[in-house]
Amino acid sequence: MPSPNPDTLKLAKDFSQPVIVFGIARLTGTDAVYLGCSDFKVYSADLTATKFTPKELYSHESYVTGVALAKMNLISGGYDGKLKWCDIETGDVIRTVDAHSKWIRKVIASPDGKLVVSIADDMACKVWDAATGKLVHDLRGHKEKTPHDFISMLYAVTFSDDGKHLATGDKTGHVAVWDVKAGQQIGECEAPVMYTWDKQQRLHSIGGIRSLAFSPDGKQLAVGGMGKVGNIDHLEGKARVEVFDWKAGKQTAEFPGDKFAGLVNKLAWAPDGSWLVGAGGAGEGFFLFYDVAAKKTLRQEKVMMHVHEFDMTDDAKEIVSVGHNRITIHKLG
Amino acid sequence: MSRSRFCGSHEHDMNRRAFLGATGAAGVSLAADMTQLNALAAPGVNDALKKTQKRVILLWLAGGASQLETWDPKPGASTGGPFRAIKTDVPGVAISELMPKMAQRMKNTCILRGLDTKNGDHGSAAITMMRGRRNEAALRYPDLGAVLAREMARADSKVPDYVSFYTQTEGRGMAPGDSGFLGARYAPMDLTTSNYPEFIKRLADISDLDHKERSDLRDVLGKQFVAGRSSDTMNSQNEAYERVRGIMSSEKLFDVTQEPQKVRDRYGPTQFAEQVLIARRLVEAGVPFVRVGRAWWDSHGQNFETHQEMVPELDHVMATLIDDLKERGLLDDVMIVTLSEFGRTPGINASLGRDHFASAWSSTITGCGIKGGSVYGKTDDKGNKVVAEQVDAGSLFATIYEALGINPEKNYYVGSRPIPLVNPGIHAIKEVLK
Repeated sequence: MPSPNPDTLKLAKDFSQPVIVFGIARLTGTDAVYLGCSDFKVYSADLTATKFTPKELYSHESYVTGVALAKMNLISGGYDGKLKWCDIETGDVIRTVDAHSKWIRKVIASPDGKLVVSIADDMACKVWDAATGKLVHDLRGHKEKTPHDFISMLYAVTFSDDGKHLATGDKTGHVAVWDVKAGQQIGECEAPVMYTWDKQQRLHSIGGIRSLAFSPDGKQLAVGGMGKVGNIDHLEGKARVEVFDWKAGKQTAEFPGDKFAGLVNKLAWAPDGSWLVGAGGAGEGFFLFYDVAAKKTLRQEKVMMHVHEFDMTDDAKEIVSVGHNRITIHKLG
Repeated sequence: MSRSRFCGSHEHDMNRRAFLGATGAAGVSLAADMTQLNALAAPGVNDALKKTQKRVILLWLAGGASQLETWDPKPGASTGGPFRAIKTDVPGVAISELMPKMAQRMKNTCILRGLDTKNGDHGSAAITMMRGRRNEAALRYPDLGAVLAREMARADSKVPDYVSFYTQTEGRGMAPGDSGFLGARYAPMDLTTSNYPEFIKRLADISDLDHKERSDLRDVLGKQFVAGRSSDTMNSQNEAYERVRGIMSSEKLFDVTQEPQKVRDRYGPTQFAEQVLIARRLVEAGVPFVRVGRAWWDSHGQNFETHQEMVPELDHVMATLIDDLKERGLLDDVMIVTLSEFGRTPGINASLGRDHFASAWSSTITGCGIKGGSVYGKTDDKGNKVVAEQVDAGSLFATIYEALGINPEKNYYVGSRPIPLVNPGIHAIKEVLK
């Protein structure tokens, strides 16, 4: 079935929130979502409820920056370096793991729900058995320091649709691709434009790879972030996406952006691969739709908040976005 | 009238030729003077120095570092951000987890958490926080470095009295070192393009004899010109020229390669680290005041990423400096101040940034006559306002002066007008003084 046309995108609902929402996971085929927030808490919510009132499940000790569902387990990670497993049927936290020595940036689950992956600023990508919480791989392929001797950060991670590959992206624009079963790096790409080092005016940096997505056939890897920034006090670089033939480590498409400034924090491909969508923001947010094959931007749409994460249904007919003090639901098709 | 400095304007726009054209007349026996400087830097001399002279290193966190990500964390508050607070070696005192090294050294340091300085504009706030008060329409006050140069420099010093590093370009023009009404004699040696004052070198094609003769000629012409005239400007310029002889001999102090590699490694390879190490060399040799400007903390977007990057550098370098001074027996005589033009908003904007905020922010003072381990000032649970022990720029400066043994009520005179070091009615914070 062809994927819905991006031209049909329309806002269906939006909810204001007293907190910043960094992560969302949706129970497949339902309207139940789980949210990771700036008040250190994890919530569950029903998107169809008459009154949208997220219910507190449990807490971390800092911002909750990633939530993922692996079968009936909800796994969350935060700036406290901890991963927590919650049984969503009972609501009980069944496991807490001191997973990383620094701040966890993202948590994702493999498509079959058997593995969970966390990345953090200790520059480790850790693969966990989703059922037992046992560490399967500790993948190290990103440098702890930038070329200018400041600490680096590991922002982005994604699985391929078949679950065989992982990709991770760091602050300096370096991408590593991993064989999940072997726990070995099998490829790398570079997107240095996404890292701005200001050596003269301000002597620090901004940017980094903030999102990754394999194409449905697994051959292409989309990389999201922000282009070069003049004044790094602000997120004023253009929202930027690059696409790679990751096996060759070669860039095949580039979308430098012309309308919105800010970071592309999340990327997803249409089920049939006909388009790619990115979302993110600075002071305001955006959706960006691309026809990668034609190297063409299809649509650029303002969103009511800086988007930190979204969940797109398998049929791409609904996108639930979370971000700065707001949650939105967009429909396609 | 344009500002006069040893090295030209803060933009370092005076070129080498112009500088030497003005100052090259200062004949000097470089080798002899440098031998003296090396002797000054020898460990045995520290004891003698510390009995007679206090010195200050100002770590100027330009652009406005966040108090919430450094000295006054609010973990768990909606404004607190993601970083945790960690315990320090002072019971009951916690600072940001981004500063684990300083957390082990807070017994040396006083935190002032109640700064309310009313001004959130980079330029005018920087001027205020460099002087402890706002300039008057017809009166330019000297900044902290100039006052300390005046109060603490030794008459026979072979080193500069006031050195200012500010290598980044952002905000440099907003916070220039300025001797105000004290004149060029106490103006800073500004280092902006490199850590090394290139302009104090004698040109290779000018011999020592040429230097000496040019200096003598300038003296003769200067005295003829001044005869029968009276001008503070002329007098201060002449004093500045007379200092050139000593200044030219201090070039090795700026050469960080003179330090053992293990000391350089200890500070680290960053520009800020190297400049702070040079600052230590300078104060050890008797320079009364060194400002190390570290720009640019103005994190309107990505505040947490910016502070994740910059605070660990500050933490490491400041902790290393404290250890280094302590090991050299200098921490009781060298004061380290961290200061910005303001702090940052408790509120977090949509770009995950924090904006300008002057109502409740923090500074620290370490060493000299300051009570280490003390905390003065309290902000509310979200960091929006000061709820106890409020401090303004004037009382901060009065505290610094008093800790250094300088009477804050001492008067300078502009014409017949007495000008106290701090405005009338402003007092030092006795609670943080030893």
